[in-house]
Amino acid sequence: MVARGSTYWFFGLLTLLPAVAGAAEYIPDEKKDHWAWQKPVRPPVPSVRSKEWVRNPIDAFILARLEAAGLRPAAPASRAQLVRRVTLDLIGLPPTPEEIEQAERDPSATWWEQVVDRLLASPHYGERWGRHWLDVARFAESNGYEFDEIRPDAWRYRDYVIRSFNDDKPYDRFVKEQLAGDELYPGDRDALIATAFNLLGPDMTDASSQAQRRQNTLNDMTDTAGLVFLGLTITCARCHDHKFEPIPQSDYYRLQAFFAAADFRHDVVIADAQEQARHERQQREYEALVKPIRDQIAALEEPHRRRLFEARLARLTPEAQAAHRTPAERRTESQRILVAETARLVAVSAKHVTDAMSAAERSRWQALHAELRKYDAYKPVPLAVTMAMQENGSVAPKTFILERGELNSPADEVEAGFPTILTPGLEPRPAAVTPQAQSTGRRSALAQWVASADNPLTARVLVNRLWQHHFGRGLVATANDFGTRGEPPSHPELLDWLAVEFVERGWSIKAMHRLMLTSATYQQSTLGPKADIDPENRLLGRMNRLRLEGEVIRDSLLAVSGRLNRQIGGPSVFPPIPREALQGSKGWTASTDPADHVRRSVYIFARRNLRFPLLEVFDLPDSNQSCARRERSTTAPQALALLNADEVTVAAQALAERLEREATSVEARIDRAFRLVLGRPPTRTELTTAGSFLQQSPLSELCRALFNVNEFVYVD
Amino acid sequence: MEFGWDIAMNRCLGPAGPDTRPASRREFLRRAGMGFGSIALTALLADDGLLADESGQPLAPKKPHFEPRAKRVIFLFMSGGPSHLELFDPKPELQRLHGQRLPESFGPVKTRRGVDKNKLLATRRTFRKHGEAGIEMSDWLPHLATCADDLCVLRGCYGDSVTHPESVYLMNTGSILMGRPSLGAWVSYGLGTENQNMPAFVVLPDPGGWVKGGAPAWGNGFLPAAFQGTVVRGGPAPVLHVNNPVGVTADQQRRTLDLVRQLNDEHRRGREDDTELSARIAAYELAFRMQAHAPEVVDISGESAATRKLYGLDEKMTAEFGLRCLLARRMVERGVRFVQVYCGDTTGWDAHSDIEGNHGRLCAQSDRPIAGLLKDLKSRGLLDDTLVIWGGEFGRTPMSEGSSGRDHNPYGFTVWLAGGGIKGGQVIGSTDAVGLRAEEDKAHVHDIHATILHLLGFNHKRLTFRHNGRNERLTDNAGEVIDKALA
Repeated sequence: MVARGSTYWFFGLLTLLPAVAGAAEYIPDEKKDHWAWQKPVRPPVPSVRSKEWVRNPIDAFILARLEAAGLRPAAPASRAQLVRRVTLDLIGLPPTPEEIEQAERDPSATWWEQVVDRLLASPHYGERWGRHWLDVARFAESNGYEFDEIRPDAWRYRDYVIRSFNDDKPYDRFVKEQLAGDELYPGDRDALIATAFNLLGPDMTDASSQAQRRQNTLNDMTDTAGLVFLGLTITCARCHDHKFEPIPQSDYYRLQAFFAAADFRHDVVIADAQEQARHERQQREYEALVKPIRDQIAALEEPHRRRLFEARLARLTPEAQAAHRTPAERRTESQRILVAETARLVAVSAKHVTDAMSAAERSRWQALHAELRKYDAYKPVPLAVTMAMQENGSVAPKTFILERGELNSPADEVEAGFPTILTPGLEPRPAAVTPQAQSTGRRSALAQWVASADNPLTARVLVNRLWQHHFGRGLVATANDFGTRGEPPSHPELLDWLAVEFVERGWSIKAMHRLMLTSATYQQSTLGPKADIDPENRLLGRMNRLRLEGEVIRDSLLAVSGRLNRQIGGPSVFPPIPREALQGSKGWTASTDPADHVRRSVYIFARRNLRFPLLEVFDLPDSNQSCARRERSTTAPQALALLNADEVTVAAQALAERLEREATSVEARIDRAFRLVLGRPPTRTELTTAGSFLQQSPLSELCRALFNVNEFVYVD
Repeated sequence: MEFGWDIAMNRCLGPAGPDTRPASRREFLRRAGMGFGSIALTALLADDGLLADESGQPLAPKKPHFEPRAKRVIFLFMSGGPSHLELFDPKPELQRLHGQRLPESFGPVKTRRGVDKNKLLATRRTFRKHGEAGIEMSDWLPHLATCADDLCVLRGCYGDSVTHPESVYLMNTGSILMGRPSLGAWVSYGLGTENQNMPAFVVLPDPGGWVKGGAPAWGNGFLPAAFQGTVVRGGPAPVLHVNNPVGVTADQQRRTLDLVRQLNDEHRRGREDDTELSARIAAYELAFRMQAHAPEVVDISGESAATRKLYGLDEKMTAEFGLRCLLARRMVERGVRFVQVYCGDTTGWDAHSDIEGNHGRLCAQSDRPIAGLLKDLKSRGLLDDTLVIWGGEFGRTPMSEGSSGRDHNPYGFTVWLAGGGIKGGQVIGSTDAVGLRAEEDKAHVHDIHATILHLLGFNHKRLTFRHNGRNERLTDNAGEVIDKALA
């Protein structure tokens, strides 16, 4: 068991030794001293020459570097540009021409702060920034693999995320709810839904080995927790000591052990006690009503069902047969697994039963079911359920290091513990865990540690994600990798300053948005000479031009054409998908209510094996692993989609009708079109160009053209 | 004309009579005939200029690590898992033990449907030696048999899972877990595309249904989206969004694009240094060009009668798969790096019952087109640097399922390779006496992948992509090149 020179064996020896120096020997100094493992301390705000440019400390950090490089920041963007930029950035929808005009006319010195606050208070803010979180959380609503079964209640997690952003839930609480909401906040419905985070990855429900299936899910949640909360790429350590990071294989399984006791549930009832009691009563009444019919059906089915079951059972191994014949409560652990793995093979469906019946029996059976359906009105509405983590006792199963990551090669047992490199004294030790009555308390311990102000990574990783979305690139460009092989931060002091500020402001994400958006750095123009010494604009001597994601493109099309359904939350919707794109893949029936076709994109059902084509072509991530930063490709299929997709032509038609309603002259319609789509009036040249275009082409074609110009998708 | 379309002229002949069943193979053929003849394949196409970003041009042609033996790949994927025992791996001992249980000496076997205790099932096929090399092949493959000296038959292949999707992902992406980049995506990433008017990676799914596991089998995983397989679908628009919107004439489309161009030029003033903006302008021009000119790729009207016959386009049984094999040749001819042609609908070769009926039909559909493809490539000099791969996600068990079927067998199965850099006319590896497990010269799927990448000029350990902190590669931490297979 202690073979293979496992590091656990090494650390095991260490515990026998009085000194801990050995641990330091295992980790080379340069990796031990890596900046990200050290708790951030607030650095002094640098002094700069052009003090008048500085609006808040962010600017001082940015300007100090620019000045050191002999560069100057760009001029501020226009108010119209700023309003369009920040509106798309914060709520993912374009500003109305009226909002832009109001900002342009506003004499107040705090006009900008007011715009930012208005947008942060919009319920659409949570939809926009929740979507960023859903990317890192690998959110989808189906299992993937062959059958890609839907997860009918996964949307509750999506709504939970949107709500949390809208409520400005403190990030430490947000983390704790997702890792251990069931343990830490019993009775809190949102905290329970939050734990679905751990279960969002792909899942092969009909895996041949259910034990392997569970292990895959455990691996996925361990990897994801590391990437999402800690920016730690621990996956490599699943099979061997990490080659590049100071993470021994034992650390991987110590981290995994925090999750080992959890049940992975898709059906936890979230109704309160009163609702449950009412439901139970209604269910009892219904059952009593239909019992006579049910009994007759059962009597009809029973002989066939039994015979069919026996025939299927006979094909299994003697061990499996014995397991099935043992009453459920008396089955051993291995029998339970065997039953679960072979359940599919012995299952007898209603169709099998009716196929086996005589014609007379079948017509009787059908008549009874028709009778049964008459009582459907008395059926209680099913109780709301959610995907969630749950535990059923205070003792966790053992966790072993798995050699080469293989389930059937367990090596040494490990206790739940935090990564050694982040442990004081660099000494691996079991985490302090307080068991609860129905729960091991392990995930609570993990959650408290992750969401602690002392954790060197958590706050840095989150402020970096915010920075990345506002400025187009993270201070650490590898947002899921803060390790020794990740990209070093472009502005390490600023990152630390923001991290400390974040914690001191009560982990308020909205406070950080305000800070970043009210900086002069954010309000720069995107125009400006490209500096030879900074070709990638890492020093932020101008604003990066942002490109709209597929969701924002689609939502903007709906908004400017006046068709957006602004309903917040609820089960996902199925807008139509072109028939060609459906061939060969499972399940997409367009929602019957056309109002569902024009909901925001974040509410489109997220099927793993069939991504919504218009979003997919614009780099929607595949949701199988955490995605910290979307690809930003420029391809001909994108051009074809924006030119020819139904979503675009319908929007162009609707916008043309709107323009005809809202303006009378050709010139006024062109003006209005530019203001709605691009957030500005046309130039004189553009007015002439568009005017002569309309002599040969309909207004809807002008609209279609505007949806395709660069300025529509690249935001200044 | 039975099919309602004239395959010789590649032209729709109008409604196919009273039978208007939708979504059938026949319907697809009819629509495909119309679609392929009249519709641009434009979305397939990508141009290096378009994909430029700060880091360069993802689909620009790139040099591999060393001089390649093959420049492009056609992967004929037999979805569902074809039986090696009926096709390439004769087992006299299995014939002898027919009706008996697997001898104890073989040890325990885990199978998908729990057939380990079922009786062994002899094949009803007869095998004969073919070619100078004397490769044994089944009587279901009379056409392929004439290509025996081009084939390198790997009889000792094995994988990691008894289920379809896991095995489909393994064969296509090197991992049983979903979501990793596919072989074709890795090749596009490594080599780019030879012809800037063509995509690097095209997938021609079976019109009857997708492989079990679906689109992730040709996905880009964590690689940029530009590298994913471009699907040519059935129906009137084989590629999404390739047609002008309803009611928009070609002239109008041009006028609208001209307006987009004018407005973009205006917008670019003062932003000349932004390569993304210029790349996007180029993308629109290419999109229009593609809509206008790409039909040539799928227009087979210029193919000779002899060629059409070679692929079996003149016969109902072989016409559909034959057309896709012919399209595969036309695509590699025009510089597509990696074409994957699926054979078999969602059930495909998954013969849990009636292996005779199931495999007999699929062989009748695919044998002539595949042999035709090999011969056609050879006569055009393309086989020298085109690698052709035949295989499915696994083989099938020597134990019977029901009375006439076979269960999944990832422990031993056959894949063959032909063309660029392959030493043809040989068999490598073997399974045990009954064809259950790979025994000699075993080749794991990682080894097959390593060999494919080697032929394309890559050290499989060095073709990597950094993702979430890890240098990921197709072959995970394994894979050995099968040296014996190399010419």
